[in-house]
Amino acid sequence: MRSSSSSTARQSFWKKLTGQQRDVTKSLGALIAIFIFASLLSPAASDGSNIFLQWGNLTDILRQVSIVGIISLGMNFVILTAGIDLSVGSILALSSTVVALLLTRWQPEMGYAAQISIAIGAALLISTASGALSGTIIAIFDVQPFVVTLAGMIGIRGLAKWLSSNANVDVGFGQDVASLFAAIFRGKPMIIGFYVVLAAIFSVLLGRTVFGRYVRAVGDNERASLYAGLPVRSVKLWVYSLSGLLAGFAGVLYAAENHQGNPNSGVGYELDAIAAVVIGGTQLSGGKGTIAGTIIGTLMIGVLTNMLRLNNVDSNVEMIVKGAIILFAVAVQKQGKDVR
Amino acid sequence: MPETILEMRGVEKRFDGVRAVHEASFSLAAGEVHALMGENGAGKSTLAKIVAGAVSADSGDIFVDGSPVTIRGPRDAQRLGIAMIYQELDLFPHLSVAENLVTGNDKFKEHGFVRPRDMDRFAEPALRQVGLTCSPRSEVRSLSTGEKQLVSIARALSMQARIILMDEPTSSLFDDAAERLFQVIAGLKQQGVAIVYVSHKMDEIFRICNRVTVMRDGETVGTRGIREVSPPDLIRMMIGHEWKPREREPVAPSGEVVLSFAGVTTGKLRDVSFELRQGEVVGVAGLLGSGRSEIGRALMGLDRCKRGKVWLRGRLSTIKSVADAFKMRIRWLPEDRKLDGLMMRMSIVENATISDLKRLSSMGFVDRLREREGALSCFQTLSLKSNSVTRAVGTLSGGNQQKVLLSRCLLGKPAILFLDDPTRGIDVGAKEDIYQIIGQLAAQGVGIIFVSSELPELLRFCDRILVMREGSIAADLDAGLTSQEEVLTCATQPPVSEAHA
Repeated sequence: MRSSSSSTARQSFWKKLTGQQRDVTKSLGALIAIFIFASLLSPAASDGSNIFLQWGNLTDILRQVSIVGIISLGMNFVILTAGIDLSVGSILALSSTVVALLLTRWQPEMGYAAQISIAIGAALLISTASGALSGTIIAIFDVQPFVVTLAGMIGIRGLAKWLSSNANVDVGFGQDVASLFAAIFRGKPMIIGFYVVLAAIFSVLLGRTVFGRYVRAVGDNERASLYAGLPVRSVKLWVYSLSGLLAGFAGVLYAAENHQGNPNSGVGYELDAIAAVVIGGTQLSGGKGTIAGTIIGTLMIGVLTNMLRLNNVDSNVEMIVKGAIILFAVAVQKQGKDVR
Repeated sequence: MPETILEMRGVEKRFDGVRAVHEASFSLAAGEVHALMGENGAGKSTLAKIVAGAVSADSGDIFVDGSPVTIRGPRDAQRLGIAMIYQELDLFPHLSVAENLVTGNDKFKEHGFVRPRDMDRFAEPALRQVGLTCSPRSEVRSLSTGEKQLVSIARALSMQARIILMDEPTSSLFDDAAERLFQVIAGLKQQGVAIVYVSHKMDEIFRICNRVTVMRDGETVGTRGIREVSPPDLIRMMIGHEWKPREREPVAPSGEVVLSFAGVTTGKLRDVSFELRQGEVVGVAGLLGSGRSEIGRALMGLDRCKRGKVWLRGRLSTIKSVADAFKMRIRWLPEDRKLDGLMMRMSIVENATISDLKRLSSMGFVDRLREREGALSCFQTLSLKSNSVTRAVGTLSGGNQQKVLLSRCLLGKPAILFLDDPTRGIDVGAKEDIYQIIGQLAAQGVGIIFVSSELPELLRFCDRILVMREGSIAADLDAGLTSQEEVLTCATQPPVSEAHA
């Protein structure tokens, strides 16, 4: 390998790792490098401390990445099957709209807890159904995922706009049920907590379960999977349903955090999620990639964005840098790969 | 001895630090057919690709017509009169024959626009030379594998190649198409074209080659005139030690009938009927496209039965999917291990256990210990050696890849096993290991259907041979009593009654 260290101890450690573990270790190294870089470049606060390293700033980064981070977990599964899900940004918008509508316009005779549960449940259900619909078309009729989810991206946003008459559904700061919902879910620990828990669950799902193995197999070689007796269709149906579910959950958190259901929210989130997955080492051609990689990819974007903002870099320049980072990450992963 | 037109000295090539070719020396005379032999992974394809410019050597000298050359890419090779026919045939399936010949061809002069008539005129001499009668306008994907091969050769000829490298050209040809290829090779030889012939097949090499160079572990072990050596000599050079062919005595099986096809008709099969008994090895011979693989597809529930019935141990089969077939303890090894069999980026163990994962898990979680043990026991049975079971299967040699796939079959403890050309393109040692396991399984009572393109192995290992032709069984022969000629005749010629009609 291209390890600069020549000590035999390091090398044998490196050799013991599987290819996958090596990729994750490399990505982790890159994340640490960016982290150190960010702390060195950070401006100092009035008391002379490092702003970047302040607890509040670090947790801010986590909260900022959580919503796209949750979406990217589902995206990771979809991409592992050699698919793509462009509809997640629209599903987020739909979910945030549905949950806000049910909390503000609907006044049932029931307790706050019950109404909040139903509102969230309905938002998640409609999100999962949207994903399942894409999944069904992709799996049964064998249409390209790009096309199906592109249609979903347009159609689902249309649905969100239609439901809300293309207006934001505001969630207040008072004592009503909607305000209570926002107060519960908008907290930093809550949002970060959800991301951490979901990341752990999906990491186990991919790495340890039969389903996770099937997902990778289908992405690696779909025909061989079919010939090996795997339930290829239901695997596809499930990954798009999960992607919809996670995007819907992200939409619920979005509504709480921003105090509104917004039919125009989440534009471009699908691309941010894809970027996180790709930076994390998952190949768009499927079959290879880990949740750990995707989490690292998500954090890389988060730390980088934070670093640029702390240094007052123009937000347009920020996009240029992000684009460059994606290319750089992919170029680094290309190196030292086994030739196929 | 005619003049040497290609010479290689001390050629070296590494992939990711792994030695593929080491200190290789090779010389080629004008008008000779020079065999390049060696087990899979011995470096013969890499050496050929270095000459063709598909891979560039790390060091070493290459001389063409006595002067040193550097070959940086296929264009350089083309300029030097070198062309390669790849095993997987590098043709454009959706383009016409003529378009395939002119694309990337320096000898075809085009000025931005191409006229179909010019392309036809350009292609015709080369097509005639290889004896292809199809129209230059026909789409390549509509041709048979043998014809595609000839198109590749015609392409090389139209580039005015003087050195043609052929990488296992007969690996997917049945004997009659191979015969045609040999005739073309003989013609080329007369015109002074030199051919490097990479192959595993002894009989071919002894038939058409003048000299043979053997490679082992990336090194060229030696070059011999074909008259100076015998097949056992070559095998000894290839594997570095003595090799004994093991034969399996055909047994008259008395076991219960485990599978029976009664008049099965699918899209590709016509009225196919046969029986398979416990412990029996039934060979299936036939040209590519004769329906031999489709028997497997019908068995696995991949092709719908339009007419006829499939019986399993006396019961009507209800198989509608591969998963159903697995439940009935039927396993198959698909023909193309890369496209239809393996997940190349997944590990060896993961590939072996993928079909039996449910059994090796609890509550949906994979029991990694049991998974590993299960896979390793199969690997041991198949003497699959690999230093690391977490390696991606794509990094293994062809023979070891096939063993991984066979492990997948064995893990299911099959009662019926359908093997679709299991020894295609793999080295001698791995072939022997696979033959041995087939013998063992049959002895344990597994009913085995063994499809193969190589008649000698069918004759050696099967009890009966079904010969397929155009979707029907042309003959059901006793392997102990039949001959290569008889099988070939049945596979290629229409029965007397049809010939009269």
